[in-house]
Amino acid sequence: MLFLMGIFSAFAQQNNVSGLVTDFENLPLPGVNILVKGTTTGTQSDFDGNYVIAANTGDVLVFSYLGQKTIEVRVGNSNTINVQMEQDTQALEEVVVIGYGNQEERKIIQNVGIVKEEAIENLQVVSADQLLQGQSAGTQIVNASGVLGSAAVIRVRGVNSINSGSQPLIVIDGVPITDSQNTLNRGGNTGINPLSYVNPNDIASLTVLKDAGATSIYGSRGANGVVLITTKKGRRNSETTVTLDVNTQFSQSTDVPDILTADQFRQFKSEVATIQNGGVAVTPEDLGLGAIGSGGTDWLGGVQRTGISQNYNLGVRGGSEKTSFFFGLDYQNTEGFIIGNDQQRAGARINIDTDVNGWLKAGVNLGVTNNRLARVFVENEIDAPFTTAFLQSPVVRARDDEGNFLQSGSFIPNIFARVALDDRELKTFRVIGNAFTEVTPFKGLTWRSEFGIDWLSTEETTREAEFNTPGGLAQQVSVREERWLTNQTLNFRPELGDDHDLTVLLGLNYEETLRTRLNVSSTGFLTDDLRNLGSGSTPTVLNGDRFPTRLFGLFSRVTYDYQGKYIVEGSVRRDGSSRFSANNRFGYFWSAAAGWTLSEENFIKDLDFFDFLSIRASIGTVGNDRLGTFPSLGLFSAGAIADYNGESGVIPNQPESPDLKWEESETLDIGIKSTFLNGRISFNASYFKKTTSDLLLNQVLPPLTGFVSISRNIGEMENKGFEFELNTVNIQSDNFQWRTNFNLTTIENRVLRLNEDAATDTQGRRIIDGPIQRAIEGESLNNFFLIRYVGVNPQTGDAEWLDANGNITTNPGSTDRVVTGSPLPDFSGGMTNTFTYKNFDLSLLMNYSYGNDIVLDGLRFADGNDAIGGIVNIRTQNLNFWRQPGDNAFLPSPNSTTFNLFNQRSDLQQLDGSYLRLKNITLGYSLPQKTLDRIGGVFKAIRFYGTATNLFTLKGDELDGIDPEVTDDIDPLFQGESFFTAPQATSFSLGARLQF
Amino acid sequence: MRIIKHIATAVLTLALIFSCEDRLEVVPEDSVATNTVFGSFATINGTVVGIYSKNQSGDLNGNPQLISEFMADNVNFVGSFPSLQEIDQYETLATNATIDNIWFDGYELIGAANNVIANLPNVNVEEINDLTQANVETFVAEARFLRALTNFRLVNHFAQPFQFSNGTNLGIPLVDRPFEGGDISEFQLERSTVNETHAFIEEDLIAAASALPADNGNRAEAGAATALLARLYLYREQWADAANFANTVINSGEYTLANDYDFYDDNPNSSEHIFVVINTPTDGPQEATVSDEVYVNFFNPAPGGRGDAPFSQDLLDAFAAEAGDRRFDELSQAATDAGGNATFFTTKYPDIVNNASDGMELRITEMYLIRAEGNLRNGTTIGDTPLNDINLLRSRAGLADLTSVNLDAILLERRKEFCFEGHRRMDLLRNNLNLRPDNGAASAPGADKVIFPIVEDETTNNPNITQNPGSF
Repeated sequence: MLFLMGIFSAFAQQNNVSGLVTDFENLPLPGVNILVKGTTTGTQSDFDGNYVIAANTGDVLVFSYLGQKTIEVRVGNSNTINVQMEQDTQALEEVVVIGYGNQEERKIIQNVGIVKEEAIENLQVVSADQLLQGQSAGTQIVNASGVLGSAAVIRVRGVNSINSGSQPLIVIDGVPITDSQNTLNRGGNTGINPLSYVNPNDIASLTVLKDAGATSIYGSRGANGVVLITTKKGRRNSETTVTLDVNTQFSQSTDVPDILTADQFRQFKSEVATIQNGGVAVTPEDLGLGAIGSGGTDWLGGVQRTGISQNYNLGVRGGSEKTSFFFGLDYQNTEGFIIGNDQQRAGARINIDTDVNGWLKAGVNLGVTNNRLARVFVENEIDAPFTTAFLQSPVVRARDDEGNFLQSGSFIPNIFARVALDDRELKTFRVIGNAFTEVTPFKGLTWRSEFGIDWLSTEETTREAEFNTPGGLAQQVSVREERWLTNQTLNFRPELGDDHDLTVLLGLNYEETLRTRLNVSSTGFLTDDLRNLGSGSTPTVLNGDRFPTRLFGLFSRVTYDYQGKYIVEGSVRRDGSSRFSANNRFGYFWSAAAGWTLSEENFIKDLDFFDFLSIRASIGTVGNDRLGTFPSLGLFSAGAIADYNGESGVIPNQPESPDLKWEESETLDIGIKSTFLNGRISFNASYFKKTTSDLLLNQVLPPLTGFVSISRNIGEMENKGFEFELNTVNIQSDNFQWRTNFNLTTIENRVLRLNEDAATDTQGRRIIDGPIQRAIEGESLNNFFLIRYVGVNPQTGDAEWLDANGNITTNPGSTDRVVTGSPLPDFSGGMTNTFTYKNFDLSLLMNYSYGNDIVLDGLRFADGNDAIGGIVNIRTQNLNFWRQPGDNAFLPSPNSTTFNLFNQRSDLQQLDGSYLRLKNITLGYSLPQKTLDRIGGVFKAIRFYGTATNLFTLKGDELDGIDPEVTDDIDPLFQGESFFTAPQATSFSLGARLQF
Repeated sequence: MRIIKHIATAVLTLALIFSCEDRLEVVPEDSVATNTVFGSFATINGTVVGIYSKNQSGDLNGNPQLISEFMADNVNFVGSFPSLQEIDQYETLATNATIDNIWFDGYELIGAANNVIANLPNVNVEEINDLTQANVETFVAEARFLRALTNFRLVNHFAQPFQFSNGTNLGIPLVDRPFEGGDISEFQLERSTVNETHAFIEEDLIAAASALPADNGNRAEAGAATALLARLYLYREQWADAANFANTVINSGEYTLANDYDFYDDNPNSSEHIFVVINTPTDGPQEATVSDEVYVNFFNPAPGGRGDAPFSQDLLDAFAAEAGDRRFDELSQAATDAGGNATFFTTKYPDIVNNASDGMELRITEMYLIRAEGNLRNGTTIGDTPLNDINLLRSRAGLADLTSVNLDAILLERRKEFCFEGHRRMDLLRNNLNLRPDNGAASAPGADKVIFPIVEDETTNNPNITQNPGSF
């Protein structure tokens, strides 16, 4: 071909046209594609921006370069044509980060949720996961509580695995970060938020990879979706800007239940006892509660406060011709609204990259965080301030007349003394970053080599004081989790002319993760002034161990499009994991996708309606290997757990499971993307169906085996649903703009099959059983499975339930449990409205969930008369107990046999969890340019803002005082359950952002 | 230049691929794998030590004793723990977390013992340094003793006693092999009868008594197996066997009555102990998450303890009826309970801070009481007369000699001697006495909830199991 062209050229009247290509700032631009239109003759500008091309007079030269507008110039008489390119801002923004690469947004046929810089730059959040909340369809985020540092449960398209590794993989600048629970359990099972180690102000964009087309490149870790976080980078040839952001925040709890005061409690107990005593008066004094009016303690008031926080953030961003950089510095001093809960975080980031020469680029992205968190317990723990404040009897005195702490007298402690005297501190140091080189041996081929690190070091200390723990107790847990990894990718994009665009990616990924733990406790301290382990008389090593894992993957992706109209993409990945035995070590994952950009077709163009319209479909597989370090081996534990009387021993702790293999999900995804009415409206929709087979679970064994569970592949599950995104520009005028982004997701979950030896219910259906929930074959993974509570019979005063057959009973048993609800919403999502008026901007971010139930197990204690021997406080609705026929009461008659059965576990504790919440509202004002000039021109921009979070929540009446966002446990089998979740924080912050 | 770069790229990539594949073979550093655990004397001994360690679990030594005391008339449970409260009110449900743990930990111990009993005899003694055939026999006998002890504990709590229908009533499932990852259905067993359960226990104990040395330090020895047989026969009303086996232990010369009650407080080498569960400050919890050696939590007042399980008024009255009993004067303390009432607590489990109080499993005093009861019921005087045996214990307690004894006197002596040690419930049930005075039908012998239901984890995972009668 070239040969033929050469002959052809020889016969033509040809000149060599040459010139200089420069960018919008008139700097030479290398690598610009120059093509003679209608031919395959082409060249590129060299490092100095110069080019030479053979062309005839009258030919049209096409100059194109990624991120720049394409320019066409007709060859005239002159042999010199200099061209200045223009920046195509739209095109620049449309490049988004995907797995191991970038792609132009309009050509993406993967299903990804993109949160761009402009969507989050004005959002003031404490933790990075909040940036995702309500922003992207199919991504549901449920905050555990308002306790600082508590992890949110992040679900990409519902629950796709049923073991603890069901959170999405989080990748920060190419480094998949670890998310093991390295901290002590302080109630609940949500651990510490892995995203609390990233400064949200450093984040440029987030991409949520949803379908197999997007995630299969992450193979064994893609099953639960992938969240790619890209931190801010500098821009070439831009002025250096410094951004300083300072704000102060005040936070309080959103909503707490009404519980009895000391006198209400005395009155209630005495009234009940009198009725039970056949009407013969029993006074509060008789019950040992003290006389009416003799005082008490407002425990709930005492554990709350207004938390005051300070945030300082500095970013420096810029770039020269060959180098661009971003530096970030951040300091946060946060006080929670719960006593004893505060956090100081200091972080720094440096992102820099430079063109060493024409074929080599090198750079580094590095973030360092140092965190100190004073932790408090949550959920079902006697040391949890919120739980204990609900339950502690209001007649118990916290302090004597001199102000000294008093013992509570029961196992529910004086929480004020616990918080004031005990120390529970978590110190964390984390480095996440990578260094890379990019070699371009010739145009179209790039070899990128990354060496990354995620180094987490935590030190958690506990010191319990003499008053609370006789002899005192100190504990120190030091965990280091280090991950080293390398990504080697070859990206090949040959020049195939205008119509064809082919990209081939080949890659290798190797990771070594080592978790090292030392856990020592010590008792027998002479005084509280002796603080550390060595000063106690009896030190005990509780853990000292290491957990190594390794992962090795090879992957490839091929993308091809014809004229940007017809796009196909395929990817494969082969992963090897040290977690599996040699027989099942390697897993193969693949995907295939196709898309059709209809708006490029004339019959759509002719409609003159759509700005953009495309349909796409993908199918593929991803896996999950997260189930312990050595799930297939039979193991015996040693150490403190197995020793006896000074002799070392071993005890069986894990049965062998040699045939254990990868969990695999197959996803089908079909979607449509559209923009119309001149960009005023865009609407995207997709349908997905994800089938997960060989589900990994610690299957519960019959207890007679002597083991609680075995790691096995236990069955098959399906998630399907729809995702919708609607973005509208409602009003667009010179001074006023109003935009709305709305998204909605529906997910239907079904357990398709469980193994033959699974547990069965009375009808012989296969199940996975839990105390509150039960997964049933053929139905949803998450069903609340409880006794049905009816209410108090107004005539008899008895509490009534339904038995399994639906008949009224006053003495139900565990065989009367049926499916009563589901923690999975019918639909959920978010809505953002942004308004700009002159220099004012206002944004309202809402999220919602509809049709889900929650179970608050702690209501078994907070309602009724007899929980924990009747010593605990209760909610005010309990004052409404049945006294005479006709009463519509909350509590049964004190003389009823059901009086003490009333608060047994039933759907009485199950509540409608639907809500709509104003998550974040921010009002900002930017000083006009005139004012900036008047104050000396030092500042490029000044913005003042105020933010309020969780300002209001629309929820059912029965949720009065109860936060609808609950998660006691990160485990998918315990979704929507809580004991007592500390509520979310309502916070108000005021701040300023200065740019100079 | 370009070609060199390509070659360098290819070589580097290939090198990485090959070096990485090898690195996926990773072995555990903190656990012993099944295939190596019988590979050395130290780890073999470790598998046996592990069973003792499991026996330290508060769910086997702690909670069952506590529950036996408050289900009966020795302890006034002040109530703080919902699952214990249920048991206290004879309303125990199959979902009760406390009994679930007892069931689980029981069968975990049995599984650990079965691993030794089934696999250790197959080990070739020649191939392992320091291991002798005698070691193997002792180790297996220790495992069988601990398995028998645990089966006995489970059958006493989850089944009606022998007296209910001469042992033909349902006992517990008998597991005689370890689970090694294979067929789960082999472990979905139906319950054996109480007689079959007792026969299984008896077989283990007879084998253990003959294989164990007379003196085995603080580990199980022949006397321990014999003593437990004596208790088994007492519960089965085999009076002559009970008296005979108790007499064998008394005459073995290995154990003598301690002069003082100093054997409760960190004194495992006291001559009083036949078999004691030794808890030390450094031996750690028996569960991965939290310490569950819970003697002190309930039996001791706050702070430190929970103050939930003080003396019952009935027990206080029993001691008050005959003043000067050292077993009250030296082993109790006045304090406030969790409900704020002034009362008395035992001091038999003194280590509050480290959960290191020892578990009283078998002590020589029990042998005197078994011998006395067996002789009295059988009209014999094997070893000595019931009167002499009882007076021996009374004089240690600082009380005057009786001139005659009957069954009531022996039971009262058992009560005062063993209060807070977990014997009371079975002593009442096997003698057809209501667990609490004047309490009525719920606590009467044979009532549905004087025993535990089979736990729900078992019934949902084992289609062959039969639940106890009653509403669960």
